[in-house]
Amino acid sequence: MKILRRVVPLLMAGAGIATAQPAPEQPAPEPPAPEQPSPAPEQPSPEQPAPLDPSTPTVPVRGRVIDALGRPVRNATVTVEGTEVTVRTDRDGWFRLRAPMGSTLVVDSKAFGTALATVTGDVLDDIVLLTEAQLGETITVESEAPAAAPGAAQLDRKELQRVPGTGGDIVRALTLMPGVVNLQLPIGFSGVVIRGSSPQDSKVLIDDFEVPVLFHAIGFRAVVPPEAIAALDYIPGGFDVSMGRATSGIVALTTRAGNDKRTTQAEVSLIDGGLLAQGPAGEDTRYLFALRRSTIDLVLPSVIPDSANLSLTTVPRYYDGQLRLDHQYNKQWKLTLSSIATDDIFELFTTKNEEAKSKRFYNRTRFVRVTAAARYKHGPWSANIALSGLAQQFLFESGLYQKINIRTPTITPRFEVTRNEPKALGLKDVVWRTGAEIQSGRGSIDLALPVEQREGEVMTQPDPEDTSVKFNGAVWVTDFAAWTSLAANFDPRVRVTAGVRTEYYVRPNEFSLQPRAEVAVKVADHWKVRLSAGAFRRPPEYNSEFLSKTADSERSQQNIIGLQYEPRDGARVQASAYYTDRSHLITRNMDGSLGNNGRGKTTGAELLATYRGGPWFAWLSYSYSHSTRIDRPGEDSRLFDFDQPHSMNAAVSWQRGRWQLGGRFQLYSGLPNTPITGSVLDSDANFYIPVPDRVNSDRAPIHHQLDLRVDFNWKAGPIAMTAFLDVQNVYMNESIVAYFYSYDYSQRAAFKSLPIIPSIGLRGIF
Amino acid sequence: MKYLLLLIALVGCDADLDEPWQLDHDRIIAVRATPPRIVSGAESSIDALVGRKGARPAEEVPPAAQVVSPESLANTLRFDAGRWLVTAPDETRLAAARVELGLMPGAPVPLVVGVAFLETAFPSGIPDEPVPAIKTVWLGEAADNPVLTTEVDGVDAPTAPELVVAPLTDVPLSVATDETDDVNWLTSCGTMRDFDLPQAYLRVELEDVQAGDLAVVVRTERGGVAWRIWPIRAE
Repeated sequence: MKILRRVVPLLMAGAGIATAQPAPEQPAPEPPAPEQPSPAPEQPSPEQPAPLDPSTPTVPVRGRVIDALGRPVRNATVTVEGTEVTVRTDRDGWFRLRAPMGSTLVVDSKAFGTALATVTGDVLDDIVLLTEAQLGETITVESEAPAAAPGAAQLDRKELQRVPGTGGDIVRALTLMPGVVNLQLPIGFSGVVIRGSSPQDSKVLIDDFEVPVLFHAIGFRAVVPPEAIAALDYIPGGFDVSMGRATSGIVALTTRAGNDKRTTQAEVSLIDGGLLAQGPAGEDTRYLFALRRSTIDLVLPSVIPDSANLSLTTVPRYYDGQLRLDHQYNKQWKLTLSSIATDDIFELFTTKNEEAKSKRFYNRTRFVRVTAAARYKHGPWSANIALSGLAQQFLFESGLYQKINIRTPTITPRFEVTRNEPKALGLKDVVWRTGAEIQSGRGSIDLALPVEQREGEVMTQPDPEDTSVKFNGAVWVTDFAAWTSLAANFDPRVRVTAGVRTEYYVRPNEFSLQPRAEVAVKVADHWKVRLSAGAFRRPPEYNSEFLSKTADSERSQQNIIGLQYEPRDGARVQASAYYTDRSHLITRNMDGSLGNNGRGKTTGAELLATYRGGPWFAWLSYSYSHSTRIDRPGEDSRLFDFDQPHSMNAAVSWQRGRWQLGGRFQLYSGLPNTPITGSVLDSDANFYIPVPDRVNSDRAPIHHQLDLRVDFNWKAGPIAMTAFLDVQNVYMNESIVAYFYSYDYSQRAAFKSLPIIPSIGLRGIF
Repeated sequence: MKYLLLLIALVGCDADLDEPWQLDHDRIIAVRATPPRIVSGAESSIDALVGRKGARPAEEVPPAAQVVSPESLANTLRFDAGRWLVTAPDETRLAAARVELGLMPGAPVPLVVGVAFLETAFPSGIPDEPVPAIKTVWLGEAADNPVLTTEVDGVDAPTAPELVVAPLTDVPLSVATDETDDVNWLTSCGTMRDFDLPQAYLRVELEDVQAGDLAVVVRTERGGVAWRIWPIRAE
């Protein structure tokens, strides 16, 4: 366990030039660095260091100790290993001492485990202390955690739950992040639109493995309750070689290991209600179990007026559940079994006549993913071996003729080996990683649908009798991937990471080589610059691409520069600019088949500023983006469907005593749309064929709204209670989400955002 | 995107858009070929049911029409004695058209006819835009348009001078069809429920227009079209 603790700071630092590092062997001291000592922190440590051997050259060092949530840890001891030099951190987590260059600092605190840091300069990166429970869950990430990319961020669960307008849903809080396309209602796609890319271009991972959907069909909720999430990594681009099958970004959720203390938690709101239980099961095992059910379906029938010509035979409802078991087998091996499952269903008739099958809509979306993982750590070696199985079903029936029923069991074995060396080949903090993964699934598909509307194509009125695409059979999808990377400090201020990922997609018989690299430079005490470039691929496995024999993988080349500035305690500003060149985009050929004739490019810049201090938490993000596509060679460039030039979020939260208050202001551009200038009636089909103007030549107006949230905490006997009121769009700005047309396209109307969305909830922990 | 469409379908009724069952709206409601399928040498005439805002729906002969496809059969359409007529060519030309369209030997040949009513303004705001529509006449085999059997408020309703229905009542409407037939009930008086089902309901609220027209259009899988129009009044 001690060894495990020693590597945690490296994981949590995550910035590439971390000074906290694994230290299986005590590094040899080096001559003092030429840098001048930095100014003393505002509040120096109250304790004075014990004298060192006068013959050992030392430098003044200062640093900060924080917890996993970024909060300062006060009164932690910081000791120069092998000496009696010990200081304690002040109330802001800062410490100051003199230590030899290259020496190891041992950081300890009662409430946390031990962490180590290496002295590489006068100002160290933040040293993160974790609780025992966090150590148990975080150590497993060590060999898999993505190298932080420019613009990437790890979302803090508790802080983002404070952000108004999210209903306490951490995944919905993703809309706070620069680069994420915002929409008044998160409907129409189940993924995340990042940096001018389609939802399918980014991957959503839970415990390192892909999941098919991120949101429930109703209620605008993520499929994982926030209390079951340990961390959410948002990597908008430039992700490392251990992740693939995506040409844009990664959203990676890590589920939470159970606490070492047994607790039960219940929460209910107008959207859903759930239970979460966690605790130890023996000395070396912990469990976490969560179950949630929608409650909106209990409310919905009472708010639909009798005059509505609807019959909800199965009221929309959802379930989701999580189970996680963690077992420390011995000092080297840790075993984890985690599972996530969801089930969404609804059936309705757009008539009171439930015999009218032509008016019936039915949908069931469900999946269960089970992952067994074994993590090994011994000396400089660590390994992660996992086997994950996914069973999923998507069933949709519309009217008498249209249907899709797809079942796709998938199995994914994965392993990765990492070796850390404090020194090798004249370099420092050397980390070598290599791994491989196979994803194999068999899709049993029975469908009769219209031709799929792809990005950039005009949305037509649904023709309930159109079953132009029919298929009944099975499709095997097997992808192989292998990767390796090497990271090292060339200089105390320069860290370079380079790697390559290879993928082989069996169905299109396609092999790819994807080199990626990053250079991180600490240009000054508070400034870091990061440069990242790489090649990325997405296999043709999205919707109708499954059935295409002519489509190959899509490609992107990403170039990112990032700048990070930490002017003072708790304050951080990070900015990035990027250019993404997309090629081989899957578009429709003139004969209706799919081909790789599309091109696209996205340019953008992002800014994220955060402040954490005392009772305050503040967040400001802004992103500019311009994303275009060319569908076929020789055609004009057009705007991407989800092109959103401007998006801004400003949030502030204040916490004192039992009360927590917060506000959030959002402002973002509307999405493009294609005006319809006329139509032709196909009299036999009784269907109007639209005559479109230039694709995406119109745009919905800018949207802005203010959200407010108030939380109140109190004790009711042994139960810690929290009540919250989260109100979205308090000044009821009804802006336009999208336009839609009358059946014959002769009239256009705006689909507007909901004027106000209140959410009330109650949580109890006992 | 399906959920967006569904949500729009559920809440879109609040938008200020004419419903598909609204007769008081400028459009071509249906184009009819009588008969819809003809053998070589036989003739089929083209007309349409047209709705105009503020006026009664009417059966009209389109002022303009032309063959859209196949080009080799463009001269099978002619205007004669106030009617557009399609004459099915001989089997030799049909065989050539099948080759042109990539059809199997002996398969009926679809002749796509485009029609336009030039005097109708397109409601999107583009002045003098024609309202085009296409209708397929099948050549090489014979079929007739369907014959309608309709009931209004439980009573046989052949074409009548005027129907009178009670306001604030769900008036049942019924038309006998095959399961695969496409049905459209339309009205300019009251609100239609289940307008695209064989069994629909008409309800006239006090604030609705109290007099107008009721129509039903039935389309068969084989291209057959039939309609019926009644003046209607609520009292």
